[in-house]
Amino acid sequence: MTVVGSSFGDVLVENDVSTVPSEPPDDILYHHKVNYFESIRNLWAHREIIYTLAERDFRAQYKQATLGVLWAVLSPVATLAIFVVVFSRVKTFGSQGLPYALYAFVGILCWSFFATALGTGGQSLLSNKALLAKTQFPRECFPLETLCVNALGTAISWIPLALLFVIFGRAPKLATLWVPLFMIIEVVFAAGVALAVASIIIQMRDLMQVLPIITSLGLFATPVIWPFSEIPTSYHIAFGHTVYTTHLVRTHLVHHSHVVGGITVNLQLIYGFFNPLGPIIANARNTMLLGQAPQWNLVAVAVAGALTYLLVGYRIFKKLEVNFADIA
Amino acid sequence: MPTLPDGTIAVEEVWKKFRADKTVPKFYDQVKRFGKSIGTGARHDYRWVLKDVSLAVPPGGTLGLIGINGSGKTTLLKIISQVTYQSAGRCTVQGRIGALLSVTSGIHPELTGKENIFLYGAVMGMGRQKIKDRFDEIVEFAGLADAVNRQVKFYSLGMQMRLGFSIAAFLEPDVLLVDEVLSVGDANFQQKCLKRIGEIVRAGTTLLYVSHDLSSVEAACEKSVWLADAVVQASGPTREVVGKYRAAVEQNAALVTSTEGVVQVLKCEIEASDGGQIRSEVDLDVRLTLNSPKPLDANFFIGVSQGSAFPMFIVRYSGSFPAGDFEVKCRLHHVPLPKGRYSLWPAMSGHLGGKGMPLLPWRPVMSFDLMGPVAWDPPEGVMVASPVYVGADWEIN
Repeated sequence: MTVVGSSFGDVLVENDVSTVPSEPPDDILYHHKVNYFESIRNLWAHREIIYTLAERDFRAQYKQATLGVLWAVLSPVATLAIFVVVFSRVKTFGSQGLPYALYAFVGILCWSFFATALGTGGQSLLSNKALLAKTQFPRECFPLETLCVNALGTAISWIPLALLFVIFGRAPKLATLWVPLFMIIEVVFAAGVALAVASIIIQMRDLMQVLPIITSLGLFATPVIWPFSEIPTSYHIAFGHTVYTTHLVRTHLVHHSHVVGGITVNLQLIYGFFNPLGPIIANARNTMLLGQAPQWNLVAVAVAGALTYLLVGYRIFKKLEVNFADIA
Repeated sequence: MPTLPDGTIAVEEVWKKFRADKTVPKFYDQVKRFGKSIGTGARHDYRWVLKDVSLAVPPGGTLGLIGINGSGKTTLLKIISQVTYQSAGRCTVQGRIGALLSVTSGIHPELTGKENIFLYGAVMGMGRQKIKDRFDEIVEFAGLADAVNRQVKFYSLGMQMRLGFSIAAFLEPDVLLVDEVLSVGDANFQQKCLKRIGEIVRAGTTLLYVSHDLSSVEAACEKSVWLADAVVQASGPTREVVGKYRAAVEQNAALVTSTEGVVQVLKCEIEASDGGQIRSEVDLDVRLTLNSPKPLDANFFIGVSQGSAFPMFIVRYSGSFPAGDFEVKCRLHHVPLPKGRYSLWPAMSGHLGGKGMPLLPWRPVMSFDLMGPVAWDPPEGVMVASPVYVGADWEIN
C-alpha cells in the first residue's frame, strides 16, 4: 500500500515546507463519531481494567489507614450518631412509628452512596490525569471504577444496619428482598450523574468547588431525614384564570387566590423522576422496615429517571471525551 | 477500505491543534465554550502542533521520530496510540498497540511493586493470567526481586522507570510506541532496554521510537522522520535524516553565537598539520584568534561534536592569557573520527584548574568536513557514545 508522503522509502525525501497550507482543507476535518453500541462493547472488553483500577483505589484508600476497611463502617455510623442526637431531640419529622436511628440509617446509606459517587466519580478524570493523558482505554473506566469502589465500601457500611436491627429487637421484613432492585436503580442513576459531572468538571474546574455545596444541599433536598410522604401526592397547579384578592383582616393584609381551571398532579412522581433517590429511599424503608410491597408507580418513575440520567450523562461524556487527553 | 495487515501504521495528512489562550479563561468564557463544545464545536484561539503529517510503517518496520522539544513528536505518538484525537486527517493503526508514552504515569505510589505490575499490565492491555505467567520474567528484567513487595513510593525514579519499562517489554503488541522513556535509566539498563526492543522488533513488532538521543535512534530504527515546527522536514533512511537534522541544529547553534562573555572569538581556522586534507587520524591544527580586555589566568577548552552540544572529545589548556588580541594554537593528535561533518566548540572559564565563571560561553564557532572511512554500524540495538582521548599540544601567543 502506498501513502502520500510515505516515510518508508529507501531514499531521503525532503518535504517542501512552503507547500504546507496554513489550515487543513475542510474535507479532511476530523469529526468525532460515537457508535454507542461499539463503545459499550469496547467497554465490556476492557472490564478487567475497571476491576483493576477499582482494586487499586480500594487498596490505596485503606492501605494507609491502620483501621483499614473499618472506616467504611465508622463514617456512616458517625453521621448516624449526629442525626440521632440532633433530630431525635428536635423531632421535626415523623419516622412512621419506627426507631429514628433505624429509619434514618437506611436513608443515610442510600444517600452516602450517591454523595460519594458524585464526589469521587465526578473527580475521577481529574484524579487520573496521568493515566488519561498517556494510556489508551475507554475513558468510561474511570468514573465506573470509582463506582465499584464506592459500591464495595457501601456494602461494608450495611453491616452496622444489621446491628441496629439487633439493638432494636427487630427483624428485616421479607420484602427486604426487593432492596437489591432499588440499589441497582441507584447505581444506574449515580453512574449517569458521575459520567456527566466528570466530563464537565474536567472542562470547568470551578465546578469542583461547587460539588461539596451540592452534596450538602442535596442531603436536605432528599428524603434522608424526612419522610418521602411529606411530598404531596395531589397538588393543584393552577393555570387559566387566577383571581387574586386582598382583604384586610384586622390589621393584616390577607391574599387570596381563587383558581379557575388547572390540573392536579402527583408531585411525588415528578420529584421521583428528577431525583430517583426519593422513591429509592422511600421504598427501601417501606419494604425493609415496614414490610410493605414496593410502590410500583414510584419505582417506575425512578427507573425512568435513572435511565434518562444515564443516557444523557453517557451522551455528554462521549461528546466531550474527544478533549479529555488534551485538557487533562 | 482494504484491511491492512496487523502492525501497519498509516498516518495520512494529520493535523492537530491545541488551545492557545493568552490568559486563563474566565469562568464565563468556559461556560460559553462548554456550551459550544456540546453543540457544534468550539472556536477559540489555537495553534497547530501538527500540520499535514503523513507517514506509513509496514508491519515489522522501525521508524524513529526526531526533532527538538515542542516539534510535535509526542502529540503524533498520542494520536497514533489513540490517546488523543487528530483535528483533521486520518490515522489508521492495525493490530494491538503497546504505547510507552511515559513509564511512570500508570504507577501508583501507595501500591507495592507487585500490585503495580498487575495494575499497569492491565492498563496496558495485558490480561491478568498473562501477567501471572510472565511475572517472574518481568521482575527479573527490572532487577527488582528484593523490592517487589515494597510500596512504590519508596522506589527511586530509576526503579519506577525500570518497573514500567519491564512491564511494557513483555506486552508483545503488534505496534510498539516508545517515547523518550529510557533517558532516566542508567547506562546498563538503557542498553538492556535497547536489546529488548531489538528482540521485540525481530519477533515482528512494528516500532515507532521517539528520542532526543540520536545514537539510540540510529541503533533502533532503520527509517526516520524529522519533525520541526509541526511539519515533516525530511524522511527516509535514519542515517541520512539524522544527518539533515544535525546539520540544521548546527546551523541554528551558529545563529545564536553572540557577543556575550568577556572574551570574543575573532577568527577560527582549522587545517591538517601536513597541509593536506582534513582526514581521519591526521594531526589537526586549530587556530583561534581571540580578544580579552584584561590578562587572564584561565582554562581554555576545545570540543568537537557532531553538531549537538555534547562533544565527542574535549582538550583543555590551563595557563595565562595576555590582554588584547591573542592567538591560541592547538594541535590535535591523531584525530580518531570517522567521515562526517563536525563542529568546533571553544570555551574559556576563570579559576585555574577548577570551575569558575565562563569567560567564553560554550558555543560552536565553525564546522568542518572530515574525510576518511565511514564508521562501522554497531551491532543491532547498541548505542555508540564513547568518550575519546585526544592528545594536544598548545601554543599561546
